[in-house]
Amino acid sequence: MPVPPGTFGSTAQPPSAFENAMRQFDAAAKILNLTPNQIAVIKQPRRVTEVKLPVRMDDGRIEIFTAYRVQHNVARGPAKGGVRFHPEVTLDEVKALAFWMTYKCAVVNIPFGGGKGGVVCDPSKLSEAELERLARRYFAEMIDLFGPDRDVPAPDVGTNPQIMSWFLDAYASHKRDFLPAVVTGKPIDLGGSQGRVEATAQGIVYTIRQAATHLGLNLRGCTVAIEGFGNVGSNAAKLLEREGCRIVAVSDVSGAYHDEAGIDVSAALARVKTHGVLAGLERATKASLLSDPMELLELDVDILVPAALENRITGENAGRVRARLVAEGANGPLTTEADRILAEKGVFVIPDILCNAGGVTVSYLEWVQNKVGYYWKNERIQEDLSRMMEEAFRAILETSLQYGVDMRVAAFVVAIQRVTRASEMRGLYA
Amino acid sequence: MTESLSTAYPRSPGSLGNVMAEFDAAAAYLGLSPQEIALLKEPRLSLRLKLPVRMDDGSIHVFKAYHTVHSTTRGPSIGGVQFRPEVDLELVEALAFWSTHQCALLNMPFGGSWGAVECDPAGLSVGELERLSRQYLVELMGIVKPNNDILTADIGTNQQIMCWLMDTYSVHYRDFEPAVVLGKPTDLGGLVSGVHPAALGVDLCIRKACEHCRLKLDGARVAIQGFGKVGMNLARLLHAGGAKVVAVADITGAYVNERGIPVDKVSWHQESYGLLDGLESEVDLIKLDDPMQLFELAVDILVPAAVELQVTDENVDRVQAKIVAEVAYDPVSPGADRKLYERGTLVIPDILCNAGGVSGHYLEWVQNRMGYYWAAESIRRDVCDIVGQGFDSALKIAVEDSIPLRLAAAVLAVKRLAAVVRLRGAYG
Repeated sequence: MPVPPGTFGSTAQPPSAFENAMRQFDAAAKILNLTPNQIAVIKQPRRVTEVKLPVRMDDGRIEIFTAYRVQHNVARGPAKGGVRFHPEVTLDEVKALAFWMTYKCAVVNIPFGGGKGGVVCDPSKLSEAELERLARRYFAEMIDLFGPDRDVPAPDVGTNPQIMSWFLDAYASHKRDFLPAVVTGKPIDLGGSQGRVEATAQGIVYTIRQAATHLGLNLRGCTVAIEGFGNVGSNAAKLLEREGCRIVAVSDVSGAYHDEAGIDVSAALARVKTHGVLAGLERATKASLLSDPMELLELDVDILVPAALENRITGENAGRVRARLVAEGANGPLTTEADRILAEKGVFVIPDILCNAGGVTVSYLEWVQNKVGYYWKNERIQEDLSRMMEEAFRAILETSLQYGVDMRVAAFVVAIQRVTRASEMRGLYA
Repeated sequence: MTESLSTAYPRSPGSLGNVMAEFDAAAAYLGLSPQEIALLKEPRLSLRLKLPVRMDDGSIHVFKAYHTVHSTTRGPSIGGVQFRPEVDLELVEALAFWSTHQCALLNMPFGGSWGAVECDPAGLSVGELERLSRQYLVELMGIVKPNNDILTADIGTNQQIMCWLMDTYSVHYRDFEPAVVLGKPTDLGGLVSGVHPAALGVDLCIRKACEHCRLKLDGARVAIQGFGKVGMNLARLLHAGGAKVVAVADITGAYVNERGIPVDKVSWHQESYGLLDGLESEVDLIKLDDPMQLFELAVDILVPAAVELQVTDENVDRVQAKIVAEVAYDPVSPGADRKLYERGTLVIPDILCNAGGVSGHYLEWVQNRMGYYWAAESIRRDVCDIVGQGFDSALKIAVEDSIPLRLAAAVLAVKRLAAVVRLRGAYG
């Protein structure tokens, strides 16, 4: 059955990270000569649930919230994916993100399918008590969908470890069983994992290590520019500095800061901790403020890590990118056009679906620890995370060389093969 | 039965007043609100059960039983089961409460519970004991589960009883489920033999205490009251670490040799005869006229590993040790505890000193869930990790805040529990 147009994402908007990914998926499916039937099976979501959540507000009123949970594919294991609390959540977006999770999990070869959830709400306008009631109602309303071996949510935009704790409590109270594996991204005190906070950044660093080896780059002494200084960007700066790299530029909403001698990363981290943003870094350290923050992307560096927003490197500026290696910390920072231009220039791109998969990989390790009831130290987590990221990188690099495609298409080729194999071996139930 | 019921696990915390007093002191120290105190203090569930059991003569005897689940906030509750004549719900609730706090102190993913059957196991036949044990578990079906509430052996219960409980559960659910009961024999998913988690835990606490007190274990003089499984294995470990065990005691008396007791020979004697009686004729040592003199010997480390209230206001001034390791429950009275603290003697509180045993239970549970069994060495390492982290974290608070280690341990446990109670919120 052909997938109807507009199944994922609205076509009225400029190409989203997801739409770009869909193009790569289609390219990969073509390389693999999948039949339309095969494509339909692995492209469409398996189960889409929409519910209305009545929640009693603090003033006594009852407000109805619209909520979704999409299980895209569960051939390889329970569905895995975050729950988003945001006013602009739409079913199309949730479906798209669930699709994305199926392939992300397959890329790093963890035994999960893909899922995603969302509640149309503005968490900043809810009191703590309202948020708690909303979170519990969300979980209770779909309690039979969730389970450690069915569907395992995690934090996403607008949700956090506290909300995961409420999910856990709602589930434990309902089932009369302490089953922390039903949700990941929990606080350490309630079965969360070591290494979770830095997981995405750490995963980026492990893939950069692999790419550097492949390109014959010695990380010690490499220059790096990092766009975005949130959880991912700031931890990537810290970890790459530890690898011996020189971080010459960082940025956030306040601007981009440049110091050829190397940004003082600990000063930048301290600044964000106390002020919330990097603003003023040019006065506190020797760094200078770039007149146009987009210049950061064009600096003469060895490694560029876009870890902020989508569509930052486009057909317009890709020609001026001077980095040898681009590691996509954010989702979709490169447009398809930029991808083509960088490929022609011989720039090596580590695609987002691989590059930022460290987060879901540590989620997987959290789930394993919860199932066993035994908790690992950070060194053990790093042992697994580095091994899994390296194995994923190598499999994709091999595929890329074998089929003569870029790393992004190769990632989808690897992932589609894995999902299709599981799906076809299992067959149809009836 | 090969194992004597009364001495199999002759230990569990005794004086309840102290348990609550320690919590209250910690709660006051942390400035918890009445609401927080209520959330932490009250048991989640308490049951009074009647267990009708068919006796060998055909009559039916009704036994009373109690079961309390104090907390499942940090994970499934874990606690011992006692079979003994003098029990009541109040005792069981206090023990469950104690278990919650010990697990939090050790940062294990467990809450606390406890159970008891009012009976005299020595007066029951094996068949009656088996039917009683099974009846007890039948009444707890739906509560006792690997992820909700887990049972361990305690006073009056043993490995055989744990096996009956595990069998009853597994047959009922048609699932092999060893993780529901801990303290099982190796053949049914218990820890590999040759590991003595309880003694290992005490040994580690003593080593860490020595480090803190700048006392070298090598050459340190030790007196141990109580020479059961834990006391004996501890003597072996301390001896291997270079310490000089100068006195040991059991119910038959106290035995001393200032130059050091041959631990191997004494252990052999205990294992052969069950008691230390007659030791003075085999080994070069003297039997003290008054066994209580053991507490007043010129030693560095004193290990009361027998019964409660041994060091009291009456004899505390004559205690010379720099470290007191509470292997028994409440061997030091609150008054004596205060005096020891004031004069700089480090008391390792029972809740910490006894951490090895429950750490071993935790590792048994993990292995049962995986169906994968570790070598003795990795269990020893994990027991030491768990106990060591608990000790270090509590000691850090004690040093930073200048408070006794006992209060610091309670503060740490209550702090961890309060944090998780806040995270989980209220269901309704």
